[in-house]
Amino acid sequence: MEAEEEYLEAEENLEAIITRIEHKSRKIETLLKQSKPVDALKTALEGSALKTRDERCKSANWIVVHRAVMAIKDVDGMISSLDPEYYDILMKYLYRGLATGDRPTCDQCLRIHEKLTEKAGLGCILRSLSDTVNTV
Amino acid sequence: MANTIRLYLTCIRNTLEAAMCLQNFPCQEVERHNKPEVELNTSPGLIMNPVLICRNEAEKCLIETSINSIRISMKVKQADELENILAKKFLRFLSMRAEAFQVLRRKPVQGYDISFLITNYHCEEMHKHKLIDFIVQFMEDIDKEISELKLSVNTRGRLVATEFLKQFI
Repeated sequence: MEAEEEYLEAEENLEAIITRIEHKSRKIETLLKQSKPVDALKTALEGSALKTRDERCKSANWIVVHRAVMAIKDVDGMISSLDPEYYDILMKYLYRGLATGDRPTCDQCLRIHEKLTEKAGLGCILRSLSDTVNTV
Repeated sequence: MANTIRLYLTCIRNTLEAAMCLQNFPCQEVERHNKPEVELNTSPGLIMNPVLICRNEAEKCLIETSINSIRISMKVKQADELENILAKKFLRFLSMRAEAFQVLRRKPVQGYDISFLITNYHCEEMHKHKLIDFIVQFMEDIDKEISELKLSVNTRGRLVATEFLKQFI
């Protein structure tokens, strides 16, 4: 019974989530045109619906984050200006990027991964490995 | 070029350092049995999310962790047919002697060239950082070995051909 209610609630929210992601995507495009890649990444990471299990939402969010990540040129600056609460989410997205196998994505993700591990530590990696509730 | 491999190996090293937290865990289904949970894949509470680290389209490394074991599968770079054959033969040679390596798996996981299986017993007997050094060193050396093998095959072929064709001059 409870599962059914949750399922219905999730169904309604899916459309809301996808609209929100589209909003984010437009905002990110404008930020990137203004050469603010760090703000674009922050916008992409915040409000990510991690609890949902729907593949479309996750893929849509991933595309948006991917766009923001590939636009980053100064990795050190980006990591130092990012709030610590986004480290875990970013790490999960980095692993998703590394799994794609696409050369430029992997290069960029490897670069950011090294710096992020230095800043956030091994705990960040372990949380991304063990977290099954908030998935990317 | 050298930079990407350094980043790739650093990423793998960091992930392994975080993931290699193994402890003894007797089998939950069968009494008195102790099995590597990553191989069984039965209980979702005991295994962590598998992580795939790709360097490019050809090279990748899959790391699957569980409570008492970790499985690391690698796909090595194979640029042409000759490297394909050499890599297969060389890695099969190593896999068949898996007993000597202790941490090597006899058969690689489907879709990969070679696999390692590290259990909590290995971590108890050997130093964790040394195990990780071994894996990363292995990845570095594998590429060099295969290039050397390819070079020696080409050199040998050239020598043999020269000698053979001398009789026709």
